[in-house]
Amino acid sequence: MSAKDIGGVAPAAWLALGGLVVVVAVPFVAIVLQAIFPAIGMGSFAKPFSLLGATLADPRLLRMTGNTVLLGTCVVIASALLAIPLGVARALYRVPFAPVWDVLLLVPFMIPPYIATLGWIMTLQPHGYLEQLFGFNLAPVLFSLFGMTLVMTFNTFPVVYFAVSRTVEAVGARYADVGRVFGATPARAFWRITLPLSAPGLAASLLLVFAAAIEEYGTPAALGRRAGFDVLVTGIDTRVGDWPIDLPGAATLSLLLVALSLAAFLLQRWILTRRSYQTVSGKPQNGDKRPLGYFTLPVLALFGVVAFLSTGVPMLAILSTALSRTISGGLALDNLTLDNFAAVFGNSAGALGALANSLTLGVATALLTGLIGVVSAYVVVKTRMRGRALIDIMTVLPNALPGIVVAVGLILAWNMPGLPFTPYNTGFILLLAYCCILLPQTARYATAAFVQIGDNLEAAARVFGATGAVAFRRILIPLVFPSLASAMLLVFALASRELVASVVVAPVGMQTIATFIWRQFEQGSVGLGMAMAFVTIVLTTLLPLVCLRLLSRKSLIKE
Amino acid sequence: MLKSIKGLVTGAVSTLLLAGVAHADITVYTAGPQSLIDKLAEGFTTETGVKVNVFQATTGKVMARIEAEAANPVVDVLISASWDTATDFAKRGWLVPYASPNAEKVPAFLKTETAVAQGVSALGIAWNTKSGTTKPAEWADLTKSEFKDLVNIPDPAQSGSSFELTAALAGQDDFKLFKDLKENGAVIAGANAEALNPVLQGAKAAVFGAVDYITFGSKAKGESIDVIFPESGTVIAPRPVMILNWSKNQDEAKKFVDYMLSDAGQTLVAKTFLMPARSDIPADRPLIADLKLLSYDAAAVQGKRKETLQQVSDIFGAD
Repeated sequence: MSAKDIGGVAPAAWLALGGLVVVVAVPFVAIVLQAIFPAIGMGSFAKPFSLLGATLADPRLLRMTGNTVLLGTCVVIASALLAIPLGVARALYRVPFAPVWDVLLLVPFMIPPYIATLGWIMTLQPHGYLEQLFGFNLAPVLFSLFGMTLVMTFNTFPVVYFAVSRTVEAVGARYADVGRVFGATPARAFWRITLPLSAPGLAASLLLVFAAAIEEYGTPAALGRRAGFDVLVTGIDTRVGDWPIDLPGAATLSLLLVALSLAAFLLQRWILTRRSYQTVSGKPQNGDKRPLGYFTLPVLALFGVVAFLSTGVPMLAILSTALSRTISGGLALDNLTLDNFAAVFGNSAGALGALANSLTLGVATALLTGLIGVVSAYVVVKTRMRGRALIDIMTVLPNALPGIVVAVGLILAWNMPGLPFTPYNTGFILLLAYCCILLPQTARYATAAFVQIGDNLEAAARVFGATGAVAFRRILIPLVFPSLASAMLLVFALASRELVASVVVAPVGMQTIATFIWRQFEQGSVGLGMAMAFVTIVLTTLLPLVCLRLLSRKSLIKE
Repeated sequence: MLKSIKGLVTGAVSTLLLAGVAHADITVYTAGPQSLIDKLAEGFTTETGVKVNVFQATTGKVMARIEAEAANPVVDVLISASWDTATDFAKRGWLVPYASPNAEKVPAFLKTETAVAQGVSALGIAWNTKSGTTKPAEWADLTKSEFKDLVNIPDPAQSGSSFELTAALAGQDDFKLFKDLKENGAVIAGANAEALNPVLQGAKAAVFGAVDYITFGSKAKGESIDVIFPESGTVIAPRPVMILNWSKNQDEAKKFVDYMLSDAGQTLVAKTFLMPARSDIPADRPLIADLKLLSYDAAAVQGKRKETLQQVSDIFGAD
């Protein structure tokens, strides 16, 4: 089946393993120990399991778990319904202004979920921006499971959109054309050939959406609590966030979340291993896309509506708030001010330092997770090394670990007395935290990409005398690079706005973008926080686009 | 391309390293406002030459960090927003007894052997002056029909002072006030800032039990908002400052406490609209002597914390 074990694998495997142990295993083990030994923070192994029972016997636990699964499933379904039609249209047809839509649908990634939620609240609540403009509000819709699903879907569906448009494009119309030649209708060819062949990318992206939805804190906290909708993450935050602190309880609930995410992962793996999805075989692809014909207008309208709701509404809400002198002044000309932006660029409260810190950390995180992710994915998919399932599982473990728990695990692990050196209380602890939380992104995308690459390509290179390392660098990396690059850009955006772990684990005296925004909100300076958010979103959208531009000039990725 | 990546990595690594190198002479963890601790640290460093490194978060997040660090703690001075932490830490024997010479003018109920208040906040009604409702004077006014669906309550599970207000008021009439509020469509709306924001925009008219200094701050910025302290009484939340016994810089830590309680330090506290702990420092807001305080047994209230929160969540649970 595959070209295996011809040498050159071992270094890759050790690199993957070493990276995963430092980034994932260390904090994860610390969390497991915390769940079992309540006093581990004091360095004591006393009273094992003494608190486990009380946590698990909490009658609300079942409801919180059920709500978590329900919310995750709703967001996955809604994201799929929204993203698949758009992604397929984008991949197979000539959609007018396609690059513009890509950029507009990229922006929701860059909007921190808690900011987007706040934007929606300020738009839809009574006397919100919608009511100020049009005289009605939609508050009852917003504070419900439906509203939560909608807000979270607008935030996460781009993951699915980009995955579907890329993989369907890679599968191309060629296989479907073969079906057509043999008499299948276009619809049948799509359902039976194109869609199933795109399954790896689709399943990987839906898994990420599910994990992101069950791990997301801001939206359920802001919208769900008022609807009486508790999820595990809000339960965890209550345990960590309020005196008396219950770290063992938080650790236990986190492990439950991880179990949920692992179950989803195994389901996805099971779907993918039932058949072969190799479509990149080295044969030339026909890159031509078809015209949309009669469907041009409806498809454009769909793109327009989705882009307006997912990008337009939150961005307008953020901008209006940032440009307002006072919130109570509302949308009025005499309430318009640039003071908040002036404050950001005038480095008020260390805004520029926070920006620099976060952008640096974002780049470093993207590079590190990219490296570890691609090597692990290679070992898992393209080798038969023993223990590769373990590597696969390690890349998915952090998927559902809430940021706050990763932070606690990192402190427990790296603040032990007697360590010869420690990243704790330096910027590196944030780097470790972000890598742990975001590694699944690059690893999942790279795995999906490797699954689609035929083994004969690597074998051919080896036949012509390339070493394993050369084949990996010259053949495989260029082929997975488009997927990997988009995953790394995503990691960059997510890392530069990470909030929950940063708040707890940030070294003394160091601010990041998210902790800056959060502090402004806490102190009632919503406008300044929103101005910072706006600047950040623009920067994190533009930087990756410029990068992609430069890379495509060097023809590393083809558009 | 490789070269530029190398450059990026080197740049990133050196930035990260530099962030960690700045060796502080004392480390302060605070649940107070960032702007206040920044100014205090700056003033202290100018006066003594001792550097201050700061970690700021909510009381809960600060405590989570200290708890996780317990095996190898680094914090010298802790400023909490909740007096319970001072009581609890004293019980654990983690605190250094210290009576600052500058604490003489701090009233006795705002200091213990091991902790002294930095400043004090109180809870009141935050009311949007443009909401078209009559200015409320009493907690019970928010149960009137003109405030139907227009009242936010900060979550007592997320805010220590909000919990004390809830417990104290609920103890007077066995939760009747809260049942009436629920009848009138009041909702529990996250932590303090989350509860206040909708009132600024006008989605709600009032916060039942808002932290006063944040609201005074918003008012100073020109928001149409005011704070009302009901005649029937409210609760205050003194913010204790403690020196941890594992601190290797206890002398400097004591100097920091002295500075915080000095005229200069207390003036900075007053500027954030907190009540200064010292009774002889003026402030541009009502002071403790102007407020009527609810009387309740703090220890008993804390003892029944779990039950009280359960009752609140039963009343305000999902419809």
